[in-house]
Amino acid sequence: MGWLDYVWMGVLAVFQGPELINLMGLPIPVTLAMIAAGFLLGIAVGATPGLAGPMAMAIALPILISVFGFSPDALLPVFGFLIGIMKGATIGGAVPAILFNTPGTPDAYMTTLDGYPMTQAGQARKALRVAHFSSASGDTFSDIVLILCAPFLAVLVERYLDLPEKTALLILSLAFIAAVIGGSVGKGLISLGLGLLAAYVGTGEDFYPRLSMGTQTLAQGFPIAAVVLGVLIIGEVFKSLEDLWSEARNRRSPRPPITQSGDQRLRWTDIRRLLPFVARSAVIGTAIGALPGIGSTLAATLGYTTGNTRHARSGARPRFGEGAPEGIAATEAANSSVSGANLIPVLSLGIPGNAAAVFLILAADTIGGFNPGPSVFRFTGDVVNPELVIAFGLFTCMMIANLLNWTIGGAFMRSMGFMSRIPKQILLPVVLLLTLTSIYVQETRMAAIWFAIGFGVLGYLMRRLGMSPLPFVIAFILGAKLEETARQAFAATGGDPFFLVSSPIAALFMVLTVGVILRSTRKSKDLPT
Amino acid sequence: MRAGKANLALGLGAALLALIVALIWVPMDTSTGMIEKMRRQTNVGDALAPTLAAAFILIGGVLVAMLERPETARRLSAGNLSFLLQLLGILALSLAVMRWLGPAVAELLTDTGYRPLRDTAPWKHLGFLAGGTALVAGLIALAERRLSWRGLLIGAAAALALIAIYDLPFDSLLLPPNGDV
Repeated sequence: MGWLDYVWMGVLAVFQGPELINLMGLPIPVTLAMIAAGFLLGIAVGATPGLAGPMAMAIALPILISVFGFSPDALLPVFGFLIGIMKGATIGGAVPAILFNTPGTPDAYMTTLDGYPMTQAGQARKALRVAHFSSASGDTFSDIVLILCAPFLAVLVERYLDLPEKTALLILSLAFIAAVIGGSVGKGLISLGLGLLAAYVGTGEDFYPRLSMGTQTLAQGFPIAAVVLGVLIIGEVFKSLEDLWSEARNRRSPRPPITQSGDQRLRWTDIRRLLPFVARSAVIGTAIGALPGIGSTLAATLGYTTGNTRHARSGARPRFGEGAPEGIAATEAANSSVSGANLIPVLSLGIPGNAAAVFLILAADTIGGFNPGPSVFRFTGDVVNPELVIAFGLFTCMMIANLLNWTIGGAFMRSMGFMSRIPKQILLPVVLLLTLTSIYVQETRMAAIWFAIGFGVLGYLMRRLGMSPLPFVIAFILGAKLEETARQAFAATGGDPFFLVSSPIAALFMVLTVGVILRSTRKSKDLPT
Repeated sequence: MRAGKANLALGLGAALLALIVALIWVPMDTSTGMIEKMRRQTNVGDALAPTLAAAFILIGGVLVAMLERPETARRLSAGNLSFLLQLLGILALSLAVMRWLGPAVAELLTDTGYRPLRDTAPWKHLGFLAGGTALVAGLIALAERRLSWRGLLIGAAAALALIAIYDLPFDSLLLPPNGDV
């Protein structure tokens, strides 16, 4: 079977999969419906300050698994829904940023700089159209790069990397994530070490589950949902609740309504003017997204800064920060182009680069039948590789979500302004109850809820101490894989204690690991205090 | 506490934790060492991976204590701890209601106790509804610094909505605390 056959089978897996309903003789595949539902929900979630795509993914996952079960047929509908949320939340984040000067997602902060001044100038709908056009362009570009790059990278990894090199690559990726997230390599390493430690509790190859303190509760290990949702979602809810608690005394009065006027359409001349900014930011965002751990917030900042430099050089008015559509375009194209590229390390190396990718891996892990990583892209000639069919099905889901984004995304996004009015002090407790319930539904024991709250406190403390929780979560997810690969590499090299440096490629990865840490450390030291 | 001292405290705390893990917890709580020799074969033991995790924490702690820029320093204030205590108090109370209300009422009103009733409405919803309402209402009260009827109504509505989402359509899903009792 050639690669084109696999592409076609992936497309068919989406369109000829189980049928949801039959509309006047036209069967509607369940995957298609799930992509649409996830996408619209994602826009609503992104448009709600205090909610984020990963939260919706976390809450939806147990429901999806209950509906679709644990068979391989469940993979594409579940992935489709999660991808829909991921993409929808990316464009939805711009809505409150533009309309209310409140970013719906952290990466939409730079959008407020020009989006809100445009709203104040009566150009809110035009600003939303600019954001949608730029976001959809960046997202589509990023997906195309993913589809073209991930299979080739995976094939290269499988062909040239043996067990010692794969172990070294995992260590390099973890070190890179620890060094670049949060701006402090020391705190990144602490977060990483804690994540690995949590992954090793109650596991191991011996009959006695290690680090379990002789208790049955710890002997089962920490439930993955309790750890990931605890640190990522519950920790964030605790922090945001405290911010509200602190602000409770000096609540701001509501802003007066702003009258909208003038031409609100996005004309061809506008698009021609915006395209260079969109293109530059899409390339920046895609390049950043392809590296695990570097988030869309940095992409948005770099895209905005680069766009600002070019715009200032041209002397055009209005300038960035004063309501320039180019500012919105540069930011939204950059932060949206991260999401597709972020799946490059997931699919080619099995390494999640952001929170959304963590939930895709979690879904794959729970359902079974698909292990994201280089082995997915084995183009077998005689026997069908079902994982490869799912991978191309996943790409098809992404392109369908893009199609929805270009067609109905803009109108739906512009209608979501009211979501920003839901008070956070109501939303956050409900999200917490929802998260705890979804954890219990998966684990069916109160201990899982207590673990989740414990990890939530850890996530809260990390945030308060300026430590990113993402290295923790990624290390927790990769911990077992790292140990397993290292064990196999050690055995395969006949117990060579220097297996990490005995081959040139593994040695290069280890040198790069030390280099990444040292460079980040020197950068910390050299910066003016 | 000055910014530099906050980093020093965090770094030293992390280093101390790493040393406790590597020198006390791991050796006492794993049954194989870092490297195991069995039947002339050398294998990685269960203690190696957690010791390496502790090494990452130790290196991170040393870097934070010695090289961290003062402007990245963050510290916990008394306000943070006070909030955390109140939050955990509300959570503990509402989860205790969630866990024990159903069994306690069943013990009082029936001869069989809660276990045979845990798959029967309204028993199976009792603890979740009361505990969920208390959790949401309590946290809204914490954020707004006042207890309100609106918070209670929102809490009850949220708990009922979750019962409708998870329990009514799926027989296989159990709401808390029905998997434990």
